[in-house]
Amino acid sequence: MNWLQALILGLLYYLSDAPWFFGEGYYVLQRPVVAGFLTGLILGNPVQGAIIGATMNLIYLGQLNVGGSMPSDMALAGYIGTAIAISTNVSTEMALTLAVPLGLLGTVWWVGKMSIDSVFVHWADRYAEKGNARGVMLMNWLPSAVMMLFFKVLVTVIICMYGTGLVEAFLTSVQNTGVLHGFEVIGGLLPALGIALNLRAILKKETIAFLLVGFLLVAYFNISIIGVALFGLVIAAIYFQYTKEDADYAG
Amino acid sequence: MPDNMVKTESPAAAKLSMKDVNRSYWLWQFFSHANYNYERMQGGSFAMCMAPIIQKLYPKKEDQIQGLQRHLVFFNTNPNFGTLIHGAAIAMEEQRAGGADISDEAINSVKTGLMGPLAGIGDTLDQGIIIPLIVALGISIASQGNVMGSLLVLVLLPLVLMLIAHYFFVKGYRLGSSAVTSVLSGGKMKRLIGAASILGCTVMGGLISSYVSLSTTITFNVGKEAFDLQKQLFDAIMPNLLPLAVTLGVFALIRNKRVSSLKAMLILIVVGFFGGLIGIF
Repeated sequence: MNWLQALILGLLYYLSDAPWFFGEGYYVLQRPVVAGFLTGLILGNPVQGAIIGATMNLIYLGQLNVGGSMPSDMALAGYIGTAIAISTNVSTEMALTLAVPLGLLGTVWWVGKMSIDSVFVHWADRYAEKGNARGVMLMNWLPSAVMMLFFKVLVTVIICMYGTGLVEAFLTSVQNTGVLHGFEVIGGLLPALGIALNLRAILKKETIAFLLVGFLLVAYFNISIIGVALFGLVIAAIYFQYTKEDADYAG
Repeated sequence: MPDNMVKTESPAAAKLSMKDVNRSYWLWQFFSHANYNYERMQGGSFAMCMAPIIQKLYPKKEDQIQGLQRHLVFFNTNPNFGTLIHGAAIAMEEQRAGGADISDEAINSVKTGLMGPLAGIGDTLDQGIIIPLIVALGISIASQGNVMGSLLVLVLLPLVLMLIAHYFFVKGYRLGSSAVTSVLSGGKMKRLIGAASILGCTVMGGLISSYVSLSTTITFNVGKEAFDLQKQLFDAIMPNLLPLAVTLGVFALIRNKRVSSLKAMLILIVVGFFGGLIGIF
């Protein structure tokens, strides 16, 4: 990885929580399945980037950012984690384990940003007192954008340029021990967390049967996820039709 | 004057064009989280998307100052489904500028009254169902080395979310302050969430089988025969039994024992690592 590549990754990392991609950076560019692919594109291996990012994304499938909280920074894991994984040529399971500490590290800046941005809203107050609409609008993005661009590019370049060596040194030191297998087991387990977290929002006594339908379809018939989604869509449509009758009775 | 007041209650007296409403929508779409902060959350962004509306509706400087300050207060909701509130607020400002008797409190109470319920419903629908579904499809394609999976998420996800945000923004404007009752009440929303949950659960079940992996290497002797726990017990009952057990176990920890997601993650890491190290997995 050279400086220019690290710089572009930093820019992408900034964009993943910035307004410029239709305001969807936070929802889309942040996802490791996208971030991994873009990182791979920059490092000259988009396919491997997509594979690593997709696998990594399983951990964050159920992440709910509510009430201004961010349990994990999946963008930091997605961009920098994939970059280090490609540079050090580790297995996908290992990359998954690498994502965890990076994602947790990212929550530190989030708290800082959410606090400092509170100052900028007072700057907007001052413009509002004068009835300056342009000033109010400008204060809602410019100070935070300048701050975050500078900070995120800096952090990315530092971690990319020095982190790769650290990970390589670590991998050499644990070679031929059971440690790597331990990491691989973790890599297989972590998707369970992402799925379980998502189930918080949708799994109830009434829907557990449908979870089992999806599970069994793949366990016994090895159907692709798109196939499972199509079966799910049919079942959901049936539910929607049948509950309509009840609603009519009630109404 | 009283004659005029009655007239402004109806949309016929509209001072804003759809172009103004759409401009406000795009300001929100781009900048809803541009200065997200602990003190007022999306308050600055709400003020930002209302600023051009206020400027157009109120020619007097004092009214503009009041208008900007009215919206520069704490606000936090789901940015996609919650746009119903922005639309309704614009409609109320328009009526107020036309002379209707709408107080600051009325506008504020519609905003604060709606933002909680819409955050709940919206987060369940987008972060809980729509996003995980599209991302899961992307993952299943991309993890097999097909970059179309990543591109699918990159293109389809923003499109879907923007269509939702725009739909509710305009709907809120058309319905005005009555937006609350008309969208939130009625069984249709509930049925829709129910149907979406079914789809979500089915796909999550499939993901457990596809992506969670755990098998034990434990073997022991039963009499003279070696007994392979994985092959002769777990696989004999059902394929992927352990991944299902682990996922439901984590779910139970988070849901019933109120273990934080961070703690659950640490438990998985410790169990996985040492289990792998000593060779039981």
